[in-house]
Amino acid sequence: MAGEAAFGWALIAGMAVVAFLTRAVFILPGHRLRLPPTAERVLRYAPAAALVAIIVPDLAFAHGVWAVSIDNPRLIGGLAAFAIAAATRSILLTIAGGMLALTLARILAGG
Amino acid sequence: MRLHGEQVSALRQGALASASLLVGMVPWGIVAGVAMVSAGLTQAQAVAMSVLVFAGSAQLAVLPLLIVKAPLWVMLATTLIVNLRYVIYSAVLAPHFGHLSRPWRVLLSYITVDGVFALFAARFRPEDADPHKHWFFLGGSLVMWCGWQVSTWIGVFAGAMIPKEWSLEFASTLGLIALVMPLLFDRAVVWGAVAAGGVALLAAGLPLNLGLLAAIGSGVAVGLAVARFGQTKAERG
Repeated sequence: MAGEAAFGWALIAGMAVVAFLTRAVFILPGHRLRLPPTAERVLRYAPAAALVAIIVPDLAFAHGVWAVSIDNPRLIGGLAAFAIAAATRSILLTIAGGMLALTLARILAGG
Repeated sequence: MRLHGEQVSALRQGALASASLLVGMVPWGIVAGVAMVSAGLTQAQAVAMSVLVFAGSAQLAVLPLLIVKAPLWVMLATTLIVNLRYVIYSAVLAPHFGHLSRPWRVLLSYITVDGVFALFAARFRPEDADPHKHWFFLGGSLVMWCGWQVSTWIGVFAGAMIPKEWSLEFASTLGLIALVMPLLFDRAVVWGAVAAGGVALLAAGLPLNLGLLAAIGSGVAVGLAVARFGQTKAERG
């Protein structure tokens, strides 16, 4: 039990270092580090690509299984949220509308 | 240190802009709190992890590995890969914050989260000389930091009472959907994002979130290609 607790603390310490370094790698060196123009152009496309790559599998898979179907409440909720976000640009309306669509889809799917 | 009116005003603007992100973050934090304790961390460790690591997706990604007693280095490698997107954010933010003192750069590095990064990147360009934009970033980040800590505490200490059928964790995905819209500012970025989504689906089976990295790489490549070959003169001008 003491070994498990020590492992937990080692994990937390290690993750804290890794999480800090990934965020600080360019911010901390400050002025001394300039990105080449090619890298800056690459980074223009990276944030949207990263967010979409996190979102899409979360909608298309259910418990690790391909689930592109009207029976998948998360897909329905996510598509509704995309439509609401495009139309309103409101974070609150997007989340509220998406959760509502998820709940309705779940009720209609019978579970 | 005494704050000037304009600094306070930028701090407040950042806090107000990110306050609506809390709707997505609070349920996600509660879920993370519940999951950390059920994976075997003590309550003190779960609270310490939220304060020291402060990275929700990495915190959740290591928990299944903790349950199967994976080696430490596998969990740290998973943290690194899930957090690689922060390297991208760090590079985007560096030109904005390069002139600040070291304590400021340490603080802003530690406190960077997806939502505030997206708000900031959509609002400020690196060439903007706004002297108070880091106060905007700090205001937004402090709101998210407090929201994350309080919501994970709720999950750690009271999570057993929330019904699982509520799917509270889905609210964070919906929040990301709202955040990605302002980033899709031209055709090349849109095609890059579409390619990233497609590759993320095809590569979803790869271990250690490598599918995520493949998707980001493909998205960037397609974005660059569309910008170079696909745009009309009007769009280029």
